[in-house]
Amino acid sequence: MHIWLHPLSLILISLGLLMWFWGTWPLLQQRSLLVKLHRLSVADTLGSALMLAGLWLQRADLWPLLLLALIGLMLWNTIFGYVLASSSQTPRSR
Amino acid sequence: MTWLLSCLFRLLLWFLLTGDRSGLNLLIGAIVAVLLPQRRGRSDLLSLLRALVQAIAAIPHAYAEAFRLMLAPAETEQWLERPSSGTRTAAAIFLEVFAITLTPFTLVLGVSAGPDGPTYRIHQLQPSSGLEEREP
Repeated sequence: MHIWLHPLSLILISLGLLMWFWGTWPLLQQRSLLVKLHRLSVADTLGSALMLAGLWLQRADLWPLLLLALIGLMLWNTIFGYVLASSSQTPRSR
Repeated sequence: MTWLLSCLFRLLLWFLLTGDRSGLNLLIGAIVAVLLPQRRGRSDLLSLLRALVQAIAAIPHAYAEAFRLMLAPAETEQWLERPSSGTRTAAAIFLEVFAITLTPFTLVLGVSAGPDGPTYRIHQLQPSSGLEEREP
């Protein structure tokens, strides 16, 4: 492992953690469901992806599983956000 | 051609899941990829590839939007309708919904069929200075 890879991975994981807190904090506030979903997309999809990228730098031998987790997270978190947003609409607003 | 793309994607997932690049594993993965049921219906390779490129390009765009949203003092909400690229291929519509919903500014609320292809109902959250709300 290159000497600069470790700090880089820590930066990526910390940035992901920051996105997690920024995105999940509004869940405790009186915001609309859609605003919460916008913010959650930052937290659970983009933040988690940064963390996985950071872990990839630390454990390069596990890259197939980490890449699979990355594809799964990006795809299903995003589509789950769409399903939740779509389900929150009343029949008239649909 | 769409069939081949679908099989290659399945084979990629098989490789990632097993982590084994031996010839025997390639053969088993290829057999599984071919034997799994394929979706019947419309397939338009060009619109599928365009949607795939758009979905991949949305990833760096999503990070740029996330940082803009994180640094913004306030946000404004907006509801809008956006026509699709005109595709009627299910996989391409899936990828277009993915690309729009992945970016933190926009969220697809629903897809409605139209004469020129589907239309997306979108909720938009954009960063603002916060001064607009204080104006009478």
